[in-house]
Amino acid sequence: MTVGTELPVYEVASVSAEKMKTMAALLSDPTPIHWDVATLQALGMGDRPVNQGPLNMGYVMNAVTAWAGGPGSLRRLRVRFLGTVLAGQHLRVRGTVSALREEDGVRLADCDVVLEVVDGEPVVSGSATVVLA
Amino acid sequence: MAFAEAELQSVVGRRFPGGTYTVEPWRAWLLADCVLADPPSLQDGDQVAHPLFAWMAATGAMGVTWDELFAWFGATAADGPVFGEHETTLHRPLRVGAGYRVSGGIESAERKVGRRTGVFDVVGYAMDLHDAGLPPDDPAAHVARCWNSIVFPRRGA
Repeated sequence: MTVGTELPVYEVASVSAEKMKTMAALLSDPTPIHWDVATLQALGMGDRPVNQGPLNMGYVMNAVTAWAGGPGSLRRLRVRFLGTVLAGQHLRVRGTVSALREEDGVRLADCDVVLEVVDGEPVVSGSATVVLA
Repeated sequence: MAFAEAELQSVVGRRFPGGTYTVEPWRAWLLADCVLADPPSLQDGDQVAHPLFAWMAATGAMGVTWDELFAWFGATAADGPVFGEHETTLHRPLRVGAGYRVSGGIESAERKVGRRTGVFDVVGYAMDLHDAGLPPDDPAAHVARCWNSIVFPRRGA
């Protein structure tokens, strides 16, 4: 592994509107654009629910921790939310190692990460630091 | 009524009431399922929780609702506040079944003007998570920190 190494591509084949409903309950998030199509239509937002930002962030966490060795490997994630994700969209997380270093005897990898809609725009971008096994 | 820049600055430093958040096993399972990760076993003991739980715990136990937080800045959900940036720092993984004390507050606020967006405010807030099973002054108790920014459009400004 060297700086510039690309992480395995992580894909979400189709964003699930059903999981948004459960997530809304877990978050106690009353915002109906995540689960009520009638509200979306009344707002002129079409009929596809909008995925929660934390879920988009979670896909990025999945991508880097799957590569690094498990959910306990994440040390830091900083992201900027650039756009929305709609139910049914196909997503892809790409990552590239930007630095390799050691801190307190622990090997760390810094990675540039981006979540993008396949054939569309980036929706989350940022950087992550993971502990290497 | 417009939210004045002086009012905006007056909120910097305000602390959240805070609270305690427990990563209940059922919640850990459902969240992992939602985010397309492997759910933890409900039969096994000590397990690592999905790292998204740092954010879940921070916002779930900050002690105010989203509507209340928006109201601190003279806004409502109808004004269209959006997440700007987020940073999670984990000193160690969160554990399924563990409880975390959450504390934090408003750290920054800045009024900006965009060519396309007009006037908007960028507010930074952060929460620290401490292991509720350890004394507050134990350095090992600090598990994670979540920093966020939220953007308030000020269409009437």
